[in-house]
Amino acid sequence: MNRKSFLQHLGLAAGSTAFLSVTGGATHFFTAISGTKAIVVDYALCTGCRTCEAVCSASNHKIDIEGQLFHGQGNPALSNIKVWRYHPPADIPVTCFLCADAPCVAACPVKPDPVSGHKALYRDAALQTIKCDLNRCIGCQSCSDACKTERGQVIFPDDEGSPTGMCTLCHGDPQCVQWCPYQALSFLEITPDMPFREMHPDAIAIEMQGNFYELNIQKQ
Amino acid sequence: MKGVNGIVLEVNLTTRSISKVKIKEDDYRLFLGGRALGMKLLSDYLKKPGTDPASDENPLMFMPGLFCGFPIPNSSRTCMVTKSPMTSPLKSTHQHASTVSYSNMGGFIGPEIKFAGYDGIVIIGRSTVPVYLYIEDEVVEIRDASQFWTMGTNQFETAIISEVGDRRFETAYIGSGAVNGVLYSSVINTGARAAGRGGTGYVMGTKKLKAIVVRGTQMPEVYDHKQYVELLKQVRLSFAADSQSKTDWRYGGTANALQFSSDRGSQAVKNYSEGTFSEIEKINVHAARQQVWKRDMACYSCQLSCKKSGFAKGAYGGLVNEGIEYETGTMLGANLLVNDLNGLHTMIEIADDYGIDIITLGNVIGFLMECYDKKLIDKSFLDGIDLTWGNVDASIQLIHQIGKNVGIGKEASRGVKHLASVIGKGSSDFAIHVKGHELAAWNVQGYAKGFGISYTTANRGACHMTGGEISGQNLSVLRDSMGMCSFASAWYKDEVHFRHFIQALTGIDLTEEAFQQTGERMFNLERALNCREGFTRMDDVLPERFFKDAYTIGPQKGVKLEKVDFDKMMDDYYTRRGWNLQSGIPEPETLQRLELAFLQ
Repeated sequence: MNRKSFLQHLGLAAGSTAFLSVTGGATHFFTAISGTKAIVVDYALCTGCRTCEAVCSASNHKIDIEGQLFHGQGNPALSNIKVWRYHPPADIPVTCFLCADAPCVAACPVKPDPVSGHKALYRDAALQTIKCDLNRCIGCQSCSDACKTERGQVIFPDDEGSPTGMCTLCHGDPQCVQWCPYQALSFLEITPDMPFREMHPDAIAIEMQGNFYELNIQKQ
Repeated sequence: MKGVNGIVLEVNLTTRSISKVKIKEDDYRLFLGGRALGMKLLSDYLKKPGTDPASDENPLMFMPGLFCGFPIPNSSRTCMVTKSPMTSPLKSTHQHASTVSYSNMGGFIGPEIKFAGYDGIVIIGRSTVPVYLYIEDEVVEIRDASQFWTMGTNQFETAIISEVGDRRFETAYIGSGAVNGVLYSSVINTGARAAGRGGTGYVMGTKKLKAIVVRGTQMPEVYDHKQYVELLKQVRLSFAADSQSKTDWRYGGTANALQFSSDRGSQAVKNYSEGTFSEIEKINVHAARQQVWKRDMACYSCQLSCKKSGFAKGAYGGLVNEGIEYETGTMLGANLLVNDLNGLHTMIEIADDYGIDIITLGNVIGFLMECYDKKLIDKSFLDGIDLTWGNVDASIQLIHQIGKNVGIGKEASRGVKHLASVIGKGSSDFAIHVKGHELAAWNVQGYAKGFGISYTTANRGACHMTGGEISGQNLSVLRDSMGMCSFASAWYKDEVHFRHFIQALTGIDLTEEAFQQTGERMFNLERALNCREGFTRMDDVLPERFFKDAYTIGPQKGVKLEKVDFDKMMDDYYTRRGWNLQSGIPEPETLQRLELAFLQ
């Protein structure tokens, strides 16, 4: 994302504040809607155990037994948080950053619904999470492409091309945060001093590998 | 049956045929999964004794434990199962007689095999050209691996992820050591998590299989979902509570034991001639934590993060993928009188890159150091290497010769039993192996009951994970079959016992007695397979060193084993096992009682 498009998006996102992040692998602008809380990762504490993936999957894919909902099996393939592993050893969990400018929503070509004003992909007012109206999604993969190229590659297309992987914040009680055995995950209001916001895991990994192993890796 | 995939993937590299083999419900009931299910399959594949471990007929299996893939804390463990290329009996009518081999690894490969829809992968036959196995759920392909074949493990791990273009793939692979024919080569997954022992990597090399590369997206339904969810919650809560044990594991992993073991005189020091290392402080856990380690790493769903990575400084500086553990720190440290922490980490790094077993490697170097010190061999035997005690540079040179299988490496890559036969001159007294498989980092003098019995009776040859008590031995193979990490047992008791998880996942309802007996059955299955090859009680013996060379330093100074006492302990062991006192072979009634009559 360049400065011009950044400023354009800023104009669209009412109530946003803008921050300049220089802590990441590259100088990077990000935005935040005041009061938005998101999953924040302390990459120095993550051990790569992927407990977060299992509990995310279990919490977001519940099983109905005799009318009562129970956590699912915990299949990590269905998780909205993903731990990416790098060599030299670094484990980089990434989930939806709840970007204020939401390039995924911007990329959605579906016309807004006259009643709700939502495209197929939209930001939910309650927790600022990104949701998809599967009845209207055309499976074009514009949102997942935008997330991959502009942000953290959080959204993945399913077999029909519809987006998966958007964090639900588990209705305000994120289970990954609750069950992380290493306290690497927090549920915090987004602030300007947070490192690694809206960065791709590849870029975060380069930074963390440099920190861990005193490597002089050329920054991208 | 719920809780399992119900099939293993069988890949024949000779015919290039790929098939799914259904596993009988009875086999799950009797053997659960992982190591023991692999052994049952091994007994099916090996039609007769004496199969050449390097032949088409020897199957190589990747066997995730029963719990693997379910987010049950510390249940990621996977066993390699095959017929050993390292062991041999004193006498046998079968030319290629050897024990079973199993080697256990954590990491991520086992869960992924389960996610792909398989309870195991069995490789049979041999390819004529280097290949890797690509698995993405239903899609299974044998692919060309020519460009990867000679790569070390570090380079390969990066290269294979580039090749498949997706970081969600999990991999298990061999390094250049196995490719070059080092007998004690490991199978490695996910950055130096090694199935180190028993030569399983060598067998993989004989099949020209560089790697398996797996991604899966499925999970089987469980038998009692409500109970499964509740048990998961309970065991996670119990891990979440503060405990000294958890803190210790996270702080130092097994390296915590370096100081403790040296202090009490149970460490392998100077090729097992001593139990205490006077310079242990220089290479203990605190030194490593302060000087080298930067990160704690966990296996899938692990709560203890005992694995470390970091950065070594000084002359031996560089990336450390794998911090010292008790075994690696002892075998390449105390056992060689190496006191340089950075040098020690570098030796481990180089050995891991070749993908060779550091326990056997530390034995080989220690044995040659002792031979050199005693002038049984000279520099020319060692390709000019001045292999003095504690010499890091010389050890590194030797590791390269071994990994490349050149010069002295041609002999040293076959282990200490072979080296002793080449060198002679009484060196077999201090060639530290049982059945051809080298001992691990726990010394025996003074601790015969624990480790002496563990080493002599272990079914892959000397093994420190087996245990000296029969109930512990049975639990050990049970753990390997459930896929449980042996460090996590303390958190699985009372209402979150392993038995309850087995019941919730599969519906197999075991009483405590039946659970114990399942372990007993598993251990006896392996023993019976070994006996069929010709192994008997006379193979269950420790090296002479332990009966001759008393410690000269430390709290156990003056201690050595007495043959009469040790024999009595062994008598007692065979009797309680229900094995013949003279031959050490399981009695027919024992096999009958354990539903192993098919082995007679």
